[in-house]
Amino acid sequence: MISFSFFPLPPEPATIHESPQHSLHASHDMDIDLAHHFLHDSNLTLPGETLTSSHAYMRGHGTYVHNEEVIASVAGTIERVNKLVTVRALRARYNPEIGDLVVGRITEVQPRRWKVDANGRQDAVLMLSSVNLPGGVQRRKLESDELQMRNFFEEGDLLVAEVQAFFSDGAMSLHTRSLKYGKLRNGQLVSVSPALIRRLKSHFISLPCGVDLILGLNGYIWVSKHVKENEQEGEEGFDAEAVYSNQNDEIDMPTRSAISRVTNIIRVLASHFVPLSDTIILDAYEWAMEQDADVSEMLHQDNSFALISAVRGRK
Amino acid sequence: MEVLNADGYRSDGRRQFELRSITIDLAQHGAADGTATIVHGLTKVFVSVLGPREAKLRSLTIHDRANVNVEVNVAAFSSGERRKRAKSDKRVLEMASAIKSTFETIIQTNLYPRSQIDIYIQIIEQDGGLLQACINGTTLALICAGIPLVDFACAVTCGVYANSPILDLTTLEENDIPNMTLAMLPKTGSVNLTAMESRLHVDRFGDLFEVALGAGRVIHEEMKLAILAKSRMLVAEMKTIGWGEKDLVD
Amino acid sequence: MRPPSPSIVEKEFLYNSLKESLRIDGREPLEMREPTLSFGPELGWVECSLGKTKVIAQIEAKIVRPPPERPLEGIITIHSEISPTASSEYEFGRTSEEEVTITRMLDKVLRRSDAIDKESLCILANQRVWHLRLTLHFLADAGNMLDCACLAGIVALKHFRRPEVEVIGDEITIYPPSERAPFPLAIHHSPYCFTFAFFSDATIPPVLDPSQLEQRLSAGVTSIALNAQKEICVFQKFGGVPLLPKDLLAIIDIAVAKAQGLHQIVENRLKEDWSSRTVEFR
Repeated sequence: MISFSFFPLPPEPATIHESPQHSLHASHDMDIDLAHHFLHDSNLTLPGETLTSSHAYMRGHGTYVHNEEVIASVAGTIERVNKLVTVRALRARYNPEIGDLVVGRITEVQPRRWKVDANGRQDAVLMLSSVNLPGGVQRRKLESDELQMRNFFEEGDLLVAEVQAFFSDGAMSLHTRSLKYGKLRNGQLVSVSPALIRRLKSHFISLPCGVDLILGLNGYIWVSKHVKENEQEGEEGFDAEAVYSNQNDEIDMPTRSAISRVTNIIRVLASHFVPLSDTIILDAYEWAMEQDADVSEMLHQDNSFALISAVRGRK
Repeated sequence: MEVLNADGYRSDGRRQFELRSITIDLAQHGAADGTATIVHGLTKVFVSVLGPREAKLRSLTIHDRANVNVEVNVAAFSSGERRKRAKSDKRVLEMASAIKSTFETIIQTNLYPRSQIDIYIQIIEQDGGLLQACINGTTLALICAGIPLVDFACAVTCGVYANSPILDLTTLEENDIPNMTLAMLPKTGSVNLTAMESRLHVDRFGDLFEVALGAGRVIHEEMKLAILAKSRMLVAEMKTIGWGEKDLVD
Repeated sequence: MRPPSPSIVEKEFLYNSLKESLRIDGREPLEMREPTLSFGPELGWVECSLGKTKVIAQIEAKIVRPPPERPLEGIITIHSEISPTASSEYEFGRTSEEEVTITRMLDKVLRRSDAIDKESLCILANQRVWHLRLTLHFLADAGNMLDCACLAGIVALKHFRRPEVEVIGDEITIYPPSERAPFPLAIHHSPYCFTFAFFSDATIPPVLDPSQLEQRLSAGVTSIALNAQKEICVFQKFGGVPLLPKDLLAIIDIAVAKAQGLHQIVENRLKEDWSSRTVEFR
């Protein structure tokens, strides 16, 4: 409710109503105070808020300069490193950095390259020269390889890769030139906000329940059956058949339900915006096993709240 | 119809410069990067934003900035009379193009070359101020999606009755009196969109602008509070488990 | 297929000259191209051109039965489709964004602004009303087709005369122009549309009646439709550069002055044309 006192109120100067909701004079000021309180309290800012002068500071991501002021362009937390001011959006698309581990899905096969959906602002590119080809790690790329690119990866295949470089327009280039990387099998994909995944020492996590996790920094998480170390590496360190195979291994029932349980735990944690780490997932898994909850019922609201409060309690 | 009665009340019991109640819901829905539901009185609009992401059609990619795509869908049950609007309805297309060009200048599209930002607007209930609700909802959804904006876009509808301005009109009032929708950027106080399609004398404009800009600032405060509350909640949730504040800023 | 965007040198040249308030066709920033109006042998046939932009407007009148919800009002419909004739930018059968803008704007300027007294188009309540059909043909696009089309439309309406009708009881007699002088339409006011183009560089002044190149390189346009009585009918700015309210009010003032000038030109041209016509009646 707003009333302007500087305008005549026809037809008669009736009593001006002030509601606690929004009146331009009284609560307007209060709102601003409240907003400032927020800002100082938790280091939060909003698009269009002036942060500082551009003389004293340099603008970083999430800011722009106008009239010699550094102004925020996203809603998020302000971060200062020496003279650099950046604003990190709380939720945003994945912002890649070189060396990041990502999980992606092939969307298109093009001449000498694959297009990969990696939750970024553009599809990533995987060059034919950036994958391991069958028949030895160090091998020259042949014309026949170009013709049978779909034998390696085809549309819809999931893969884990590393960000190798950027193109001039900001698209990322991936590579899978490591035995850890390549096509994904024996599991399922969960997609969460990239903000929930931080750079860890290792993004390959083996849970004791026989489940492997790959936490892609782009927010795609691969939950799969545990593969023993020595099985992963074939003879001579590389087995083309196994690496590019589309055939899932035999998975027994307990492993299947463990995979589903872990997947649901991640979904519940992500829906409550809980940052993911191996210890939290493990805590949650142990709690779920104690409760002996049915996998399919974990996503119910009551159960998910119970899980969150249990995990919070354990910390 | 009497728009303003002798005691200075409008048909829904509001005063001349009183806005309808605003409700904002920023809960995350589905696979969208950002969603917002905004309610202005009896007008309700749901906006979801996807992207920036790979453009679906190669012809839509722009080499030096992101392409903004807006689609507006009017639910058949949204107005008093059940009516299905065709996708090619010129009024709906015009509204979509107005929203698109409004946000093309507000979004920092040059940061996302060759990408596409999709804005899907679903009109659930309509009772006046449709364009206003769509613009405000889109601003909120874009902020939720973490897309960099120069500023908020705050839209408000205002009309003129008996030579004096009236704010935030309902359908009944919109049909009766000349009115204008205005979108402003609170940082600079500049105007990004005006849409007026009824006859009004030039001399009325000064007042109209002044009132509308004032109301735009009030709406800005409301939207700011909603975004801050949501951000604070997310930060708090991230802090409770896992990383402490120090890690968060790493 | 969109034509290739202007080359970088063209762009720079235009921006640099505009910064010095010079336009490529030699006009002042706030100068309109002089409209040329030519009338056909029929009443209600107008060819309007602004520079190389050319639009033909034509009006037909039919007698129809009114829809039951509006038994006392005549019907006005506007038909316009931008065909590839105007410019290779437009495709046949596909609605471009510009076409939506122009069609909607014509509807607002000519129909929704109540320029025509619809009740005067009623012949016999619930039985017979006039149906006016305004067709616009876009012949050439050299920028600012919107203003040109609006001008052509309103001039055609002012130029048009419908046959005299006599109602005796339920009997309707229509007199051909040779018998009784045809009747002009009852027009409340004549709105004219003015389009201003703005540029992202704040030092470049806004330009009135942009050419095709200026329109394409501009960062948004603002269209104002108003009549000589200083009443604004449409005020439309969809996005583009954000402007301060005082700048917008300044634009409105310019449009007010231009509308009065244009109204005078139109009235003079109509008078000239009318005096050259011989209207026979007995």
